[in-house]
Amino acid sequence: MNNENEFTGADILLKALKDQEVDTIFGYPGGAVLPIYDAIFGQNFLKHVLVRQEAGAVHAAEGYARSSGKVGVLLVTSGPGVTNVVTGLTDALMDSIPIVCISGQVPSHLIGTDAFQECDTTGITRPCTKHNYLVKDVTKLSETIHEAFEIASSGRPGPVLIDIPKDVQFAKSKYISKKDIRFREHRIKAGSKSVDKNFVEKLISHIKKSERPIFYVGGGCLNSGHQASQELIKLVKKTNIPITTTLHGLGCFPGEDKSSLGMLGMHGNYEANLAMNKCDLMINVGARFDDRVTGRLDAFSPDSIKFHIDIDQSSINKNVKVDFHTNTDITLTLKEINSFIDSNNIDFGDKDYSNWWGQINEWRKKECLHYEQGDEVIKPQHAISRLYELTKQKDTFVTTEVGQHQMWAAQYYKFSKPNRWITSGGLGTMGFGMPAAVGAQMANPESLVIDIAGEASFLMNIQEIATAVQYKLPIKIFILNNEYMGMVRQWQELLHGSRYSESYVDALPDFKKLAESFNAVGVRAKNISELDDTINEMISIDRPVIADIWVDKKENCFPMIPSGAAHHEMLLSKYDKENPENQEKGKVLV
Amino acid sequence: MSSTSVYPTPINAFKESKRSVLSVIVDNEPGILARIVGLFSGRGYNIEALNVTVVDVKKNLSRITIETLGEEKVISQIIAQLEKLVPVHSATNLANLSESYEAEICLVKIEFENQEQDQKILNYADIYRSRTVQKRQNIVVYEISGTSERINKFLDDLGTIGGIKVELVRSGPIGLGI
Repeated sequence: MNNENEFTGADILLKALKDQEVDTIFGYPGGAVLPIYDAIFGQNFLKHVLVRQEAGAVHAAEGYARSSGKVGVLLVTSGPGVTNVVTGLTDALMDSIPIVCISGQVPSHLIGTDAFQECDTTGITRPCTKHNYLVKDVTKLSETIHEAFEIASSGRPGPVLIDIPKDVQFAKSKYISKKDIRFREHRIKAGSKSVDKNFVEKLISHIKKSERPIFYVGGGCLNSGHQASQELIKLVKKTNIPITTTLHGLGCFPGEDKSSLGMLGMHGNYEANLAMNKCDLMINVGARFDDRVTGRLDAFSPDSIKFHIDIDQSSINKNVKVDFHTNTDITLTLKEINSFIDSNNIDFGDKDYSNWWGQINEWRKKECLHYEQGDEVIKPQHAISRLYELTKQKDTFVTTEVGQHQMWAAQYYKFSKPNRWITSGGLGTMGFGMPAAVGAQMANPESLVIDIAGEASFLMNIQEIATAVQYKLPIKIFILNNEYMGMVRQWQELLHGSRYSESYVDALPDFKKLAESFNAVGVRAKNISELDDTINEMISIDRPVIADIWVDKKENCFPMIPSGAAHHEMLLSKYDKENPENQEKGKVLV
Repeated sequence: MSSTSVYPTPINAFKESKRSVLSVIVDNEPGILARIVGLFSGRGYNIEALNVTVVDVKKNLSRITIETLGEEKVISQIIAQLEKLVPVHSATNLANLSESYEAEICLVKIEFENQEQDQKILNYADIYRSRTVQKRQNIVVYEISGTSERINKFLDDLGTIGGIKVELVRSGPIGLGI
C-alpha cells in the first residue's frame, strides 16, 4: 500500500540533505548507490559534482568545507568506492575538517557473504572517522543523517561516515526533519558551553606579570569561526603581544601585521621559534603541540607558563604539559578575555614589552626567509613571492599539495583572512591540493582559487583536472616543477649522504600538452624573465590552467629544525651544519 | 608498557606504570566494543582485562570495565580519548574516586589423584570461602569471587599442591564507585 507520508531511503537522504542546507555533493556512482543516484536525477536543489576517482571527492569535500565553513558532503559506492576515501577521511580527521561521507553498501542480506564490491566499511573507517554508522533500518535513517551532520560540525569537527545498504535505500519510512530531532547531548561532544572565568582571570594576571609573552595559534581558531579571528586581532592589538601561528593557523591573524612572527615549527620563522623557546608566557589558542611544531620535547619552551584553549579535552597535556587550560570554544573564551579587559579598564599601555620586542627584532634581522634570486633560473621562493604580489589584491584561495612547495607557500604567501589557506597538515597527503581546489572553487565560484603544487604531488590526483574542466571551474594549478620529490630529496641530502634513492621523478609528462589534452590551458615559465607574464596570463584566463614553473632543482627549504633538534637549534641555510648527535637521533624520526 | 614514542620525553613516561581500572558507560550499540578496543590498540595502550555487559536495558546502556597499565599521564589521556567516542557517556578511573569497590569472579576446575591432594584443596577452598559448583570423584569445580588480588592468592596457594591439574576462567575485575 502506498502511503504518501512514506519515502524511500534514497528520498529520505535527499530530504535530509536539503534540510541540512547542503547544495553541493561530490561523488562517483556505482552499483550500491544507484537508488540514491536515481533520486539525485529527479531533483534540482543539489548540485552533484562527478569526480574522476573517489579520493578526489573526499579532498574536494574537504576543500569545500575549509573554504566555506560549512560541512562538505560526498557520496561513494561500496567496496573500492569507500576504500578509496580512507586517506581523505584520515586527512579530515587529523586536520579537524567537517565532512559527511555517504557510502552505499551491499543489501543487508548479503552483508558478510563476501558479495561483489562488499567490504567492512564501518570496520575499515572506524579509526579514521570521528564517528560512523551502518544503517540497517530505514526508520533510523533521518535521525542518523541529522546526528551525523551535528557530530561532524560540533566541538572539534571531523569526518563522519554513513553506510547505507542498498535495500535500505529502497525501503520506505517516514521522514523526520531536523527540527523534530532532539540530539542526545553526550553524543555531540560540543565542549563546555560556559567560559571558565577563573581561567580568564589567571590569564590576565599572568599577562600583566610576564616579560616575554607569546600567542601560539592553531587551526582550532579557524574552526571556531571568523569571529574567533576578530577577537584574536582585538586581543593582540590591546596587549601588543607577539603572535605566531601553526600551518593551519595561517590567516587567523593577518600575516603582514607587525605583531605577526609568521609560522613556527620545522620550517617556521627563526624569530617565531626563538620566541617560543625563550618566552615566559605561552598562550596556546587552538593548537595541539604537534611534533612538527615542538621539535625536541625536552627543550621545548622550557621557561614558560603555558595556557591552553582547546575544545578537545584530549589535546590538553597530550604532548606537552600545560599549567592552565580550558575546554570552552575559542570565540567564547577570547570574547570573555576582551570584555574582561574592557570592563576592568585594564591598560596594557605601559607594558609594551619593549625589551621583548627588541630581542625579537634582533632575531628578525637574521632575515631567515632571505634567498638569492639570480637572473636566470627561477628560485621557488621567488615564484611564490611573485604569485603573492600579483594576486594579493584579488579575492584568493590557496590550496597546496604536500612537500617543499607547501612549506614555501606557507612561508612566502601571506594570508590576511581565515579560511583562505587550505592544506593537508596532519596527514600530509600528496594529491590533496587539486581536488581541494575543485571543492574551494565550487564553494566560491567568483574567487581566484590556486593550487600551489609540486609536479610529483600533482600526478597523484591528476585525473581531477577533468572534473574542473567539466564544471568550468577556473582553478589554477601552479606547479613548482623541480623534477624531484623535493622534500624527500632534501631529507636524503641532509640525513642520507645525498643518496637520492627513487626521489627523481623521471618520465614527466609535458604539462602544457597535458593541459591541452584535457581541454584546459597550459602555460609555462622556464626562466625568471617569463615568470611575471606567465603568472599574469594564468590569472587572466577564465578556465582551468596548469602553470608549469621550472624552478631550481636543488633548492632546499630553510629555515629548518631538523628532526630531533630543538627550536633554538634551527638551520638557516645549507651552510649551517647540524649537531651530529642530533642527526643520528633525528634519522629515526619522521 | 614499553615506550612507543621515538621522541625523548622530559618526564619518565611509562616508567611508573601502575594498574588502573576504568569504568566506562556507553550506549549499547553495534561496534562500540570495537571502537574501544581499536582505540587501545591504535594508540598503543594495554588492555589487561575487559568486561562488557548491558546494565540498563531500558536506557540501552552497557558498562565496560577495563583494567590497564600506564603512568598517570597516559591514563588521563586514555580517559580523554574514551570520552571523545560518540557512544561514551562517561569514563572514570576508579582509583580517582574517594571510594570504590572491585570484584572479580573465577571458576576453577581441579583434577586430583589422591586423598591427600583432595584434603589440601578442600582446606584452601575453605580458607578462601570458595563455593563448590560441582564435585565428582576426582574433579572439583569452585567458584571464588573477590578482588583480583585475593583470587591470585588462592590460585598461588593451589599451585603449591603438587600433581593436580587446574583449568580456570576469570571475569576480569569489575568495579563501582560510591
